Amino acid sequence: MVALDGIDLHVERSEMVSIVGPSGSGKSTLLNLIGGLDRPTSGDIRIDGRAIAGLKDDDLTRLRRDKIGFIFQFFHLLPSLSCLENVSLPLHLRGMPRRQIEVRARELLDSVQLGHRVGHLPDELSGGERQRVAIARALVFHPPILLADEPTGNLDSTTGAEILALIHQLNRTLGSTVLIVTHDSGVAQSCLRTIALRDARIVRDERRSVVRAEMP
Amino acid sequence: MILFRLVSWPYLRKHLFRGVLTTAGIVLGVAVFVGMHAANQAVLSAFNQTVDRIAGKTQLQVAAGEAGFDEAVLERVQSVPGVRAAAPVIEAVVETGLPGQGNLLILAVDMTGDRSLREYDLEGGDEDIIDDPLLFLAQPDSIIVTTAFAARNNLRNNSRISMQTMEGPKDFVVRGIMRDGGLGSAFGGNIAVMDIYAAQKVFGRGRRFDRIDLAVNEGEDFAEVQRKLLAALGPGFTVETPAGRGVQFESLLRVYSAAVNMSSLFALFIGMFLIYNSFSIAVGERRSEIGILRALGATRRQIGALFIGESAIGGFIGSLAGVAFGIFLAEAIAGQVGSLIEGLYGVAEKAEDVAADPGLIAAALSIGTVTSVIAAIIPARSAARVDPVQALQKGKFQVLSSGENRLRRWLALVLLAAALLCLPFGSNRFFFYGGYMLLIVAALLFTPTLALWLARLLRTPLRRLRPVEGALAADSLLQAPRRTSATVAALMLSLAMVVALGGTSQSSYRAIRNWLDSALNPDLFLSPSQDMVSRTFHFPGGMREEIERIPGVEHVQTIRANKITFRDTPVLLIAAEMDRLGSRVKNENLVVAGDPDTLYAEVGQARGFLVAQNLAELHGLSLNDAIAIPTPSGILRLPVSGIVRDFSDQQGSIFIDRATYLKHWKDDTVDTFRIYIGPGESWQAVKGRILERFAGRQRLFVLSNREMRDYILGLTDQWFAMTYIQTAIAVLVAILGIVNTLTVSIADRKRELGVLRAVGGLRNQIRGTLWLEAMSIGAIGLILGLALGAVNLYYQLRMVRQDFSGMAFDYEFPWYVAMILAPIILGSAWSASMLPAESAVRSSLVEALEYE
Repeated sequence: MVALDGIDLHVERSEMVSIVGPSGSGKSTLLNLIGGLDRPTSGDIRIDGRAIAGLKDDDLTRLRRDKIGFIFQFFHLLPSLSCLENVSLPLHLRGMPRRQIEVRARELLDSVQLGHRVGHLPDELSGGERQRVAIARALVFHPPILLADEPTGNLDSTTGAEILALIHQLNRTLGSTVLIVTHDSGVAQSCLRTIALRDARIVRDERRSVVRAEMP
Repeated sequence: MILFRLVSWPYLRKHLFRGVLTTAGIVLGVAVFVGMHAANQAVLSAFNQTVDRIAGKTQLQVAAGEAGFDEAVLERVQSVPGVRAAAPVIEAVVETGLPGQGNLLILAVDMTGDRSLREYDLEGGDEDIIDDPLLFLAQPDSIIVTTAFAARNNLRNNSRISMQTMEGPKDFVVRGIMRDGGLGSAFGGNIAVMDIYAAQKVFGRGRRFDRIDLAVNEGEDFAEVQRKLLAALGPGFTVETPAGRGVQFESLLRVYSAAVNMSSLFALFIGMFLIYNSFSIAVGERRSEIGILRALGATRRQIGALFIGESAIGGFIGSLAGVAFGIFLAEAIAGQVGSLIEGLYGVAEKAEDVAADPGLIAAALSIGTVTSVIAAIIPARSAARVDPVQALQKGKFQVLSSGENRLRRWLALVLLAAALLCLPFGSNRFFFYGGYMLLIVAALLFTPTLALWLARLLRTPLRRLRPVEGALAADSLLQAPRRTSATVAALMLSLAMVVALGGTSQSSYRAIRNWLDSALNPDLFLSPSQDMVSRTFHFPGGMREEIERIPGVEHVQTIRANKITFRDTPVLLIAAEMDRLGSRVKNENLVVAGDPDTLYAEVGQARGFLVAQNLAELHGLSLNDAIAIPTPSGILRLPVSGIVRDFSDQQGSIFIDRATYLKHWKDDTVDTFRIYIGPGESWQAVKGRILERFAGRQRLFVLSNREMRDYILGLTDQWFAMTYIQTAIAVLVAILGIVNTLTVSIADRKRELGVLRAVGGLRNQIRGTLWLEAMSIGAIGLILGLALGAVNLYYQLRMVRQDFSGMAFDYEFPWYVAMILAPIILGSAWSASMLPAESAVRSSLVEALEYE
C-alpha cells in the first residue's frame, strides 16, 4: 500500500498550513516525513534547502531537535516526569547546564500559563494543560517549524480553542512555520492555507486571505 | 479456552522470547528440585538393592559398631532360641590396583554355614568348590569374583589377582565366578567373596568378626527373636534388619538434600518474582485489549481467569521443561552422591537408571505450576479491575499511588520488627525460620524505598561520568522506582543466596584450617590405607614402641576411630592417649567448653568424655551432662568433661582414652599414628626411616602434615562441590533476573524511548542512558544483595549449626565473593541492556510513538 504518492508541496517560512483529509489519506504520514520521524521510500524533503531524506539518524535527530517542534494528539508526555522535567528533557539531551535548563523550562511553562503547575505529574493535569506542557516542550529551542498532529483532537471544544489560539499566537510572535494535521474544519479554516489529501495524494491546496475570527 | 486461543495465544506468540525468559526461573527451580531428588532416589535405591543382594536371606544382623566383636559372640547368637542359621561376616574394602577398577568390597564369610543365607550362583564347573567348602577353606588365597569383574579384567578360573593386605600386596587365586544377578551384581560387580578366617589374617582383624548375619526359624516371631538376641548380647550390640544399613546413608543425604532444596526454593521464589513482574507489565501493555474484551461482554472474573490460565499454562510448560532438565541434571548429581557413598563404604555406588518416579514428576509439576499461578494472582486482579472506558482511551496511563508506598513501608517496618523480635528465640525452629522468612519479606517490601535512596546517591557520580546520559539515567531511576525495584529485588534475592553460600564456605574453610593448625599438628601421620577414611586395615597396637625407637621420632600418639551409634545416629568414636594428645594440641582455638588444663586428664582417667562441638549442638549437650555409649562390654556412661572444635565427622565425634577403649572394646589395633619429629630433624628423612623399618612386613602410608592438610581440604572441597553448583545456580538466577526484567522493562518503555528520540535524543544518548541505567540497577541490586546476603549468611550459619551438621563457624563476610560478583553483575546488566537498547534505538520512531 502506498501511504503518499506524487506529493509536491512547498511551505513558506512563517506560513500556517492546515492539512486535512479523511482517515488513512496520509496526513500524519506526511507530517512524520516532514518532521524526520519517518523516511520516504522515494522522493525528497528539504528544510531550508537541505535534503533530509539521506541524513544519518543522528543528523536527522539534531535537525529535529534544533529546527522542529512537535505537538501530538496524545501529548506524549512521560508519565513519570513532572511538567518541568518533561519540558526540560530536550535541553538535557542537548547537554545544557542544569541551572539554565530550569530557568528556560520555567519560562516556557509560564508562557503557556502553567507556571503554577511545574511540579505536577501529567496524570494530575487536565487534557488542555497536558497539551500546553507538550507545546512548551516543543518550543524549548525556539524551533522555526512547529508540527502539530491533531493538537485539539483529544480535547473538548473550549480547551481546543485555547490551544489553537496559543498556536496562532506562537506563529505570530515567534514567526514559526506551523503545519497542523486536523480533522476539524474549524481548525483547518483558522489557517491561511489548507492542503487536502485523499488516497495518498494532494487533492486541493487552498489559500485564503482571511481566516475565521472565532476559533472552533 | 476460546479466550485463551483468541486472545492469549497471539500475545504469547508475539512475545515468545519474553515468555521463555519469564518461565526460566520456574524451569531452573523445578530442575534443581527434580535433579536432586531423582539422583537421591536413584542412588538410594541402588544402595538398598546392593544391601539386599549382599544380605541374601539374612533377616537380622548383629553388630557392635565398626570395631566388631570377639568370635565367641557367634556361639551366643547361635544358642538364642528361634535362630535358624547364623553366619559371621567381615567386610573389607581393598584397592584392586587395576587401572579404572576402583575398590573392591571383600565379603568374607564362613563357607560351611553361609550358604544357608546366601546363594553363590557360580558359573558352570565351579559349583564343586562350594559343594566342598573345605577345599575352599584349605586354600586361604581363594577368592570368588563376579562375572562382570572377571570380564572387565580378563579373569578366569585359577587366574591370579593381586590385592592389598596387612602384609602388603598379596596374590589371590580366582576359584569361582559368580553369575550376574543377586550377590554377583552388588556394587556393579565390584564385590568378591573369600573365607572369613583367611580374611581375619590378611586384614589384621585378630579373632574378631564385623557382624553376624542370621535367619530365624520359619513361623518364629521376628521381633521376639530380636528381643531375645538383644537380651542375650547386652546393650553394646545392635540387632537390626539389613535395610537399617541404608539409614546412615539416608541421614547423610538428608543434609545434602536440605541444602540443595534451599537453592531450589530460592530459584522458585525468584521465578515467582519474574512472573509477577512480566505479568504486571503485560497487564499494562494489554490494557486496551482488556478494555475491548470488557466492552464486548467479558466479565471481570473471565479476565482474571484468563491471566491466571496463561500463568498456569506457562508454569506447567516451564515445569515440564524443568523436569526434563532435572533428569538430565540428576545424572551429574547421582555421580556426586555416589561418590559420597564411596566416602562412607569405600566402594562407589553407581546408579544405573536415573529416572524420576511419577510421584516426583507430579510434585514437581504441581510446585512449578502453583508457583506460577501464585505469582500471577496480583497482576490478574489488576487486569480484572481495569476500567474499560479508561482502557480504551489512548494516552492514559497508571501511576503508583503514594498511599501504596507508605503502606508498604509501614508493613516492611512491622515485619522487620517482628523478625528482630524472633531473634532472641532463635533456638526454637518456629521462631528461627519464621523470623528468617519475615526478614526476607521485609527486605523485599523495603526494596523500592532503598532502591530510591541508592539511586539518589548514584545521581552525582552518574552525572560526573556522563553529563547527559548519566543525568537521564539517574532521573529515570528516580522517577520510576517500581520499574527499578522489580529488577533490584530479583537480583538482591539471588545475590543474598550467593553471599550466604560463599560466606558459609569461607567460614567453614577458615574453621577447618584453624582446626588443622590446632589439632592436626603432628609432622607425620601413619595410616594403613592410602584412603584415610577407609577403616579396613588396622595397625597392631604394639607398633608404637617400634616407631618410637626410630631415630628422629620424638613423640607418638595412637588414634583408633570407629563408627558407633549414639542416640540412633552414627557418630565417630575416637580413642586416643589423652595425656599425650593434650600435651601437643593447641588448646586456644580448640576447647569450646571445659578446663583445658584438666579435661585431658579427666578423660584419660575415664572420668568423662570429650565431645565435638557439632555433636553437642546436634544433641543439645552441655558440660557435665551424662551421656551413654554402647560398647561390646555394655553401656559406658560418663559425663561430658569438655567440648572441642572437631571436624572429623559430619554427625559428630566422641573422644575417649585409649585405655578405656581397650577395656571396653578389647581391641588394641590402631588406625593412625601421629608422629612428632625431634628438633632439627627433616620429616623426609624420618619418613624414609619409617618406610624402611616396616618395608615388606607392614602395609603403611606416611603422610606429611602438608599432605594430610591437603587431603582433608580435598575432602572438604568434595563436600562443598554441591555448594558450588548451588552458587552457580544462584548466579545464573541473578543473571536471568537481570536479563528478564531489563528486557521486559525496556520493551515496555518503547513509547517513552520514542518520545526521547522524537524530542532530540541521539542514538548514542539513548543507548548510553539505557546502559548506565541498567548498570545502575545492577549496582543497586548488588549493594542491596550484599547487604541482605550479610544477614542471610548469619541465618545460614545458624541453620548449619542448629539443623544441618551442628558445626559452629565464625561469621565472616565473603569479600572475595563481592569482588567477583561486582564485575559479573555489572557486566550482565550491561549485556542484558544491549539488545533491548539496540532494538529501542533502531526501531521505527513512528511505531514507537504509537506504542501504548
